[in-house]
This record gives sequence, C-alpha cells and structure tokens, in this order.
Amino acid sequence: MLSVRDLYVSYGGIRALKGVSLEVNKGEIVTIIGANGAGKSTLLNTISGFLKPQKGEVLFNGLRLGRQPAKIVKAGICHVPEGRLVFANLTVHDNLVLGAYLRRDRKAIAEDLDKVYGLFPRLKERMRQPAGTLSGGEQQMLAMGRALMTNGDLVLMDEPSLGLAPLLVQTVFDIIEEIRGLGKTILLVEQNAFKALHVADRAYVLEQGRIVKEGRACDIANDPAVRDAYLGTKSKGGGGVA
Amino acid sequence: MNQLLQQLVNGLSIGSVYALMAVGYSLVYSIMNFSNFAHGGVIMLGAYFGFFGLTLLKLPFAAAFILASVGTAVLATLIERVAYKPLRDRKAPFLYFIISAMGASILLENVVIATIGPTFRTYPEIFAREPIALGSLAIGRLDLIMFFVSAFCLACLILFIDKTRIGKAIQASAYNMKACALMGVNTDLVVLIVFALGGFLAGIAGVFFGMKYTVYPQIGNITTKSFIAAVFGGLGSLPGAVIGSVLLGVIETLVAGYLSSQFRDLIAFVILIGVLIVRPTGIMGKTAEDKA
Ligand SMILES: Nc1ncnc2c1ncn2[C@@H]1O[C@H](COP(=O)(O)OP(=O)(O)O)[C@@H](O)[C@H]1O
Ligand SMILES: [Mg+2]
Repeated sequence: MLSVRDLYVSYGGIRALKGVSLEVNKGEIVTIIGANGAGKSTLLNTISGFLKPQKGEVLFNGLRLGRQPAKIVKAGICHVPEGRLVFANLTVHDNLVLGAYLRRDRKAIAEDLDKVYGLFPRLKERMRQPAGTLSGGEQQMLAMGRALMTNGDLVLMDEPSLGLAPLLVQTVFDIIEEIRGLGKTILLVEQNAFKALHVADRAYVLEQGRIVKEGRACDIANDPAVRDAYLGTKSKGGGGVA
Repeated sequence: MNQLLQQLVNGLSIGSVYALMAVGYSLVYSIMNFSNFAHGGVIMLGAYFGFFGLTLLKLPFAAAFILASVGTAVLATLIERVAYKPLRDRKAPFLYFIISAMGASILLENVVIATIGPTFRTYPEIFAREPIALGSLAIGRLDLIMFFVSAFCLACLILFIDKTRIGKAIQASAYNMKACALMGVNTDLVVLIVFALGGFLAGIAGVFFGMKYTVYPQIGNITTKSFIAAVFGGLGSLPGAVIGSVLLGVIETLVAGYLSSQFRDLIAFVILIGVLIVRPTGIMGKTAEDKA
C-alpha cells in the first residue's frame, strides 16, 4: 500500500533522514520506534507532503504522491500529527466536520460521524465545547477522530501516547486496534516501544535517520539490543558490563 | 446632550469605515501572524479606482464601487503572490514579511505618484451636501451611507467566516495552518481568499475616504488608524477589530469635538501606547497560549 524508497530529507544542512525505505501492506499495523530526534516525525511529514525529499520517493498504491498535502489527503492518507494540533478555537463537532472537508457525500459523512462518536463517546458528550477545553487524552481522541473523518485508508499516527497518563496510554492503544478493526491500515510512530510493539504486526527501528532493524513486531520486541535500548529491560544474554 | 449625540453619530460613521480596513489587518494577522502594512496602498488604489470609474469611465456610483472593490481584491491577492508567497514557501522569519510589506507599500505609492501624479483630486459630488435632519440631529448623507454599507459588509464577512465551510477552514488555519492542511484544505487558497476578502473591503473603504476627504497618493496612511484600532480590539480577532474601530472613531470625534481637533490624531497613538502597556492582546485578542 505504502512504499517509501531510499528517502533523504534534510533541514538546511542537517540530514534528518539518510536513505529510509519501508513498506506498509494493507490491513497492517506497522510501527516505527526510535528515540527522540531519530527522524520519525520527519518521515511522516515527508509522506504527508510537508517536507520535500532530496532523494527518494514515496509510492501510495503504486503511484507517486503529489507534493501538496491536500492532494495527499485526497489520495487517502490521513495523519494524526504530533502534539495533536486540534483546532482549539472551534467546537469538537466543527473539528470533526473539518476532517470531511474534501468529501461531498453527506450521507456517508453523517455515518462516519456516528462511527467516530461511537468510538469516542466522550467526544459526543462534549461536541459543542471548544476543543481547547478538552483534556490531553480527549484532544488525542479528537485528533484521531478528525483524521478518520477524512476517510483515508492509511492512518499515520505520530506519538499518540505522548504526554498522556498511563491509564490513558492503554486506552489510546486499544483505540488503535479498534481503528484497524474499521478496515484501516496504520503506520504508528512511537517512543513507547513496549506498547507499540505489542499492538503492531511489523516494526522498524529508526536511529539517527537510518532504519537499523526491521522485522515482525514480536521478534523485534525480543531482540536483545532493542530490549536494552528501547524497552528498558536488560536482556537475559546481555553482557554484565556496567 | 445634543452635541454629544451628534458626535456619537459622526464617530460611529467614521469608526465603521475604520472597521472595514481593520478587519483586513486582522484577517491577515490571524492566519499569517504579521501585520500587512501594504494594506494602506491597497486602500489608496481603491480610492483611485473609484475615482476614475466615476470620472473617466463615467460609471454609475454602484458600478464604480464594485470596480474599486473587485480591483483591490485582485490587487491584494497579487501582492500576496508576489510579496509573501515566496517567503511563505521558504518559511522565512516574520521580519521578512514586514519588510516585504513595507516594500510593496512604498512601491504602490510611488507607482501612483509617477503615473497618476501627486495632486489631490476631489470626487464628483454623488450625494447632496445638506444633511438629513433627524430631530435636532443633522446626519450627513455620506456618513449615513458609509455606516450602513460598512455595517452590511462587516455582517456579511462575519457570517461568511462563521457559517461557511471555507470560513471554518479560515478559522482553522488561523489556529494551525499545518493541521488545516492535514484536513485536505488547500491552505494556499485559504490565504488567497483571506487577502481577497481584506482587499475587497479595503476598496470600499478607499472609495469612502476618497469621497469624504480627497484622493491623493498618501491617503493610505489613514490605515495607521485602523491598524491601531485592530490592535486596540485585539489583533487577529474580527469582532475585536470592529469594536476597536468603532470605539476609536467615537473617541476621536469626541476628542475633536470637546477638546480640540488637533488632538484628534494624537489620541489614536495615546490609545495604542496605552493598550500596549496595559493589555497588549487588546480587548478581545488571543492570549499567548492560544497561539503557540
Ligand atoms: N524544523 C526543523 N528544523 C531543523 N531541524 C529539525 C527540524 N525538525 C526536526 N529537526 C531535526 O531533525 C532530526 C529529526 O527530528 P524529528 O523527525 O522531529 O525526530 P523524532 O520525531 O523522531 O523525535 C532531529 O535532529 C531534529 O533536531
Ligand atoms: Mg517526533
């Protein structure tokens, strides 16, 4: 569904991605784990058309994506950005309706709105409230719901659990599974490697702009180096050197 | 009492025209976070478009009015494309936008001086000079028309922003342009529409100022007042721009009537400094945390 091929992206002189390639197949949850500054957001922003690669390409269903973010949304990729970025000055309902900006099929929009409110009953209770008054967890739900309203097939999620209380973190990962249940494909970027690897089918490890490991999520979760670096659990076979 | 009412009426009329200009500043500020100082040049050209529409083309008043406002709407979008879009594409710092705006403003003024000339021109008389008597009040016909046309245009603008799909996209862009693009909104188009709206209203304001005073290449300096009004009301807020403008218009006329007309222009700056010291976000402005 999505293939990223040999992507190089830099900010001014600073290289943030140095030849990243990855695949996401229909129906999968694929996660990219990596430390702060590894280049995860840069990758998603490039897929969404906000950054121009120096080299490499992004194919969606076999076609090269245009450069304009709006065209990419139209093609069927939605992006839940880091930091949620809900429209604090608009109501919850207006935020969701804006998600359907490009769609004309009123009936299908109304159905999807029901689906989103079904997925997030909290949002329904608060539909007339300005989004700025929501709690962090509710804002994350709104950002997800808003992305679902675009009706894209591929959902990019940038650190959805960032800054949330532990109880809510679990809720967010449960919701990710439910979103897959709606028939969506998900590319999930996370620093919370433990939860991300638990929910994902496949995983990539991004370090300083390069993919250093890839494989089935359960294999990656059991990889000694990954366990040391990202899961905070010393692997059994790991050296005792302090 | 009577004099006070009379001053209030005059103040409302001039304030409503300030508001036409101030919302242009506020709209652009709300989505691009800089003050578009080329706005004065747009208003000046609006005054000339209206003037030549009436005199050279001998258009009826309404047609000249439309010519002026459509002309300035196009001009404002051109300025956006030439002076600001290249900077936006390069994610240039805010100072560059201000410099570019000043450049555009100086260019417009000098092109007009070089082609049309620096002289003052007087609009042909459209509305009879004698005021309408309302009880003991005397209301100028032009003042009355200025007030109603401005109020109508502002009401349409606010409805448009509040109720339409594009209006919602403008509000969303004001909060966060990137997130708005993620909804599939063509944010370049949103920016153009914002400039076109501001330009359209600036054209109307230009014609009114041309009629009330005269037309000359520096008439755009009058936007300093509407800029102050926009800051007073809270930059970036449309209702704020309207309230700030009306208040400024009323305060000015009261000062001119009761103190001295020499203080008239001074008071605007006193208000500006006062606002910046006491409440920099203005009456209805966004607070710092609203706009990250
Ligand atoms: N707007 C920017 N300008 C310059 N450098 C940036 C910018 N955004 C990110 N970077 C740099 O690019 C690298 C990757 O950042 P990012 O993609 O945000 O990482 P992650 O999302 O994995 O934390 C970092 O070194 C970061 O400092
Ligand atoms: Mg990031």
